[in-house]
Formats: sequence, C-alpha cells, structure tokens
Amino acid sequence: MSEQLQSDFDKLVKTSKFSSEEIKFKKNFLDNFIKNGFPNRKQEDWKFLDISQIIKKNISDLSFFNDYSQSNKIDPSFLVDGLEHNKIIFINGKIEKIDFNFEDQNKIEIIDKTKKDISFDYENSLIDLNSAFIDKVFKILIKKNYSLKKPLIIYHLTNDKIKSTNINLRLDFELAENSCLKLVDYFANTTAKNFINIFYNFNLEKDSILKNYKIDKFRNNNLKYSFNNIEQDNNSVSETFILSAGSDYFKNEINCNLNGEYSSAFINGIFSLKENQQHEIRTTINHLVENTKSYQLIKSVLGKNSKSAYQGRIFVNSKAQKTDGYQLSKAILLDETSEFNAKPELEIYADDVKCSHGSASGSLDENSIFYLMSRGLNYQQSKELLINGFLMDVVEKITDVEIKNLIINIIGLKQ
Amino acid sequence: MLKINNLNANIENKSILNGFSLDINPGEIHAIMGPNGSGKSTLSNILSGKKGYEVSGEILFENKNLFDLETEERAHKGIFLAFQYPLEIPGVNTNIFLKTSLNAIRKARGEKELDAIEFLKLVKQKAKELKFDEEKLKRQLNVGFSGGEKKKNEILQMSMLAPKLSILDETDSGLDIDALKIVADGVNTLRNKNNSFLIITHYQRLLDYIKPDFVHVLMNGKIIRSGGPELAIELEKKGYESFN
Repeated sequence: MSEQLQSDFDKLVKTSKFSSEEIKFKKNFLDNFIKNGFPNRKQEDWKFLDISQIIKKNISDLSFFNDYSQSNKIDPSFLVDGLEHNKIIFINGKIEKIDFNFEDQNKIEIIDKTKKDISFDYENSLIDLNSAFIDKVFKILIKKNYSLKKPLIIYHLTNDKIKSTNINLRLDFELAENSCLKLVDYFANTTAKNFINIFYNFNLEKDSILKNYKIDKFRNNNLKYSFNNIEQDNNSVSETFILSAGSDYFKNEINCNLNGEYSSAFINGIFSLKENQQHEIRTTINHLVENTKSYQLIKSVLGKNSKSAYQGRIFVNSKAQKTDGYQLSKAILLDETSEFNAKPELEIYADDVKCSHGSASGSLDENSIFYLMSRGLNYQQSKELLINGFLMDVVEKITDVEIKNLIINIIGLKQ
Repeated sequence: MLKINNLNANIENKSILNGFSLDINPGEIHAIMGPNGSGKSTLSNILSGKKGYEVSGEILFENKNLFDLETEERAHKGIFLAFQYPLEIPGVNTNIFLKTSLNAIRKARGEKELDAIEFLKLVKQKAKELKFDEEKLKRQLNVGFSGGEKKKNEILQMSMLAPKLSILDETDSGLDIDALKIVADGVNTLRNKNNSFLIITHYQRLLDYIKPDFVHVLMNGKIIRSGGPELAIELEKKGYESFN
C-alpha cells in the first residue's frame, strides 16, 4: 500500500498548486499514515470493527489520487425536495457548490484554510490520511448573534467519474457567540467500493447552538468514516443525530469537549442494518468543567448477518463537579446471525456527578406481536409497527421539527 | 357460533386443558369461573391462536376449523380477546394502532377502510361512551396507563372492532367499581342477538352488571358444572373447594 500512497501523493503534488510549505505539511501527514496504516483491532477503539481488514476485504484496488481540476455535473435529482435549504455539494470529494442563498451574506464567511496549517492532534491515522490527500479545506464562520434561516444540507455524492477508491473531505465550522447552525449531512452514492473519509471540526463559542443530522439511508456498497470534533464554550449546545443505515460499513466517531460551563451535548443514533452491513458509533464526551451535561440514546434494528457497535465514553475531569452524563443503547436482533456490541466507558474523577449508562438487546417481543395480531394485523405489519415504535423514540429526540419530519419521511416511519 | 369439542392442551408436557367442551350460540353470554391455574387463560389464548401449546380436539367457529386460522385471521372473522394483561407498546401511538387494526379488519371483511376523519369521528364517539380520556389516545399504546385505563382501552378496542365473539379474560380484576360499570356498559351496549361473549372471571362481582345466560365452573382443565346465573352466587358463597 505504501508504494501506491507514495505514487498517488506524487501525482497529487504534480496536478495541484500547493506551495512548497503545504507540500511539506502534507508529506508529514503522509509519512505518519504510511507508518501507522489503517487502524486495526489491536487498537481498543477499533476492536469491534477492524477497518484495516474491512478495507482489505472490500477494496482490492485501493488508490488515493483524485484529479480535482475536473468539475462534476450536479444531478438535481439527488437534491432534497420540499425543504428550503442552503447547500454544499461534494461530488467525488470535490466541492462543486457552496450556496448560502437563504442567508444574510454578511453574516457568513467562508475562509479558505487550505494554505494554513490544518494539522489536528488526535490519535487516529485516518486524520493523517485525510490531511495528506484533502483537496481544499474551508472554514465556515457563522457570525455573532446570527441564526441561519434555513438548514445547510451537505451533499455527499459520488458517481462513476470517480478516479480513485478513496476520497477525503474536511470542513471546519466556527459558530460565533450566540449563533445557530442546523447542518444535515446527506449521503447519496451511485458508486461502490469506495472509502469515504470525512472530518468536521466544530468550534462552538458561548451560547451557540449546533444541530448536526447525518442521514445515511440509501443502500450502497461504500465504506465510510466520519469524525466530528466539537469544542464547546459556555452554555453552548450540540445536538447530533445519526441515521446509520445505507452503507456497507460506516463508523461515526464524535469527540466532544465540554470546555465551558453549562455546555451540553446530545447524541442520538439509529442503526438499521441488514445483509452483512457493519456499522459503529463511537463517542467520547469530555466533561472538563463544572455543570456540563451529556445525553446519548442509540438504538439498533439488526437483520441477517449485520453487526453494530456502540462505544460510548464519558470522561469526567476532577474539576467537573455537577456533571450530568447519561447513555443508553438498545438493540433488536431480528435474526440469530445479527450482532450488537456495546461498550460503555465511564471514567470519573469528580465526586459530585450524576452519570448512568444502560444497554439492552433482544429479539422482538413475541407477546407484543401476539397482542397486535389479535387485533387483526398480520405478522409483518405487527413487526413493522413494533420496530417503528422502537425507532420513533429516537427520532422524537430531534428538536428541529422540519428536519424531524424529513427524517421520518426518509425512514418511512409512521407518526 | 363457537363449538369446542374435547379440547386438550399441553404446555411443556404439562396438561392444562383436559377434555374441555363448550357450545356458544349467537347472542349468548357465557361466564367461566374457576380458581387460579384451572386453565382459564390458556383457553382464551388458544381461542385467539397464541403459539406454544400442543393441542388436540376440535374448535369450530361458525363451522370453520379454528386451528386452520392464524391469529389475525381469527380477528378478521370476528374473534376478540380482551387481554388480562394488555401489553405496553412503546413508540406506537394509540390512535395509529386503533386505525391500523380497524382498517385491517375492515379490509379483510371486504369493507371500505376508514380515512383519518371518519376514524377520528368514530373513536371520539366510542371514547365518550366509555368515558375514556381522549387525550390518552394521542399517547403511546398503554404506556404509562394505569391498570384500569389499560382494561378500559381493551373495551374501547372491542367496541371499535365490534366482534362477533368477545372473550374477556379477567377484565374485571384490578378495576374499581366505577371502571367495572364502564366495562359492563361496554359489553351491554355491544350485546345483541348476533354477538356472543365469553367472560372469564374469578369473582361473581362483574356478573352483577353483565347478566350471563350460562355460568360454567372450570377446574383442572375441564368444565365440572354448568348452570344459570345462580351458579355464580352459589360459588361466591361456598368457594371452589366445595365443587371439587
């Protein structure tokens, strides 16, 4: 793999207009990645789903070079209908459109960070891969006291014009004091066997609100990794919702640092998997000061040969008194070949805290099915109604009504 | 309407029903009384098609072999079981459930399915009749309902679905006197020359409000005595032991 990496990197350097300083940075990231390779099960964070093996098994012709000088045509049929929204459109890893047409243009700034130092300190070789091969890095700044009027939908599209089997995306967001951003990640892929590596870095200043909804619903044979780093200042709120259902493999990782008092983080997720899909959510919430709160609810519905994992870490610093941390995961196993793994990790160094975790898994309750069937519903209807109810519980946590309805429609739930 | 001939039921090699026979004609109300463990709930489960029992004998419902029908097909044909312990179904809105259920049955009967407005009109009217708090219909099915509310919800479902044969499995247990009257009113309203009821109970109390045509005493998996309403009063006085 290292030869391929090296030669693809050389191609990238040749076709792009990076300065010698940028190339030096990138070379450093590349060397780190060559040294460490893809994460594997020997690392605790990767023990349930070993991405190094999964990539080896699924992508035989791994390559990293994309020619970003070519533009891709936007196929409007992939765009979300019936909901006014701002757009960022990624096609095959290249940003084809940034459009904040619904907003006050003075309140949003888009800053090209490509030429700056984009290094990010995190023990994860995928970030190195990302930084080495990324095309452009933009920072989106939402200015003080501004709430976006409409949600921003980021489209993650791939099509058959793609040149390599790996694409890397990165965006940085800065939410200035008392600003608000509703961000939807919308995945629609017409390719297969690509590894898509996404990194978002959020900085939430005082009193700001971030709502990030990730929708991977449409069945596709790609492998995805998404990493959100969220820094939170006083009284800021982050809400993350993950619908993990479409890809062959998807790991969503969230690292959230509650740096300011009264900041809070909410993470809710649904795994709806079948046919050999393997998905994971790994969260780390660092409660670093007093009076911070985190809440997590993850539910899985797992069909034949599918596997999901939830690793939820809550860290409470010795200074972080009055922390309120909660996590719960529940799974319905529809088939005896399906598998759910939960690994809660609570590391608490303060004494005046409220932290709890729970996990439960099992098959659908036969008595409940009997009850519904005795009211005239057939087995399939009864099963669907129970699953619907099981998942509705998570969807109800979505605080934005418009996006909640969008997600209910996309999943096909009944209210 | 319902003919049960020599029904035997085992669960995990334990005999529960043992030569049970009963005939119910259209318009009749039958009460089955019996001590704990006499097989009352097994009988209602088997009539509704619950899996897990080894059964022999014969059950005919309107001359059709009930064993050939799945649980939902029995509901479509007009059999309703009011559960002793109605289940809580998290995340499922009560109204959605009622509408899905009613329309599944109407569709199977070849009737037009109700739209949202027609359904709401009907459910509001039925809820009012049964003094069932309409707000609860917007909540998750039975979740956080009190024991009495769950039982009233069963009777609401019964009156919505208008079954031919209603089986009430200890619907009276856990009810206060006001709720008991509401349940009895629900039955009495639905009662006509075509609809029949099988009321399973420990106590004579419910039978003060619903007058049965026949009372049967169930012990050790079979009916040991049948009679009129006076039999319930005799039981209440003497207890089950005296019948053994």
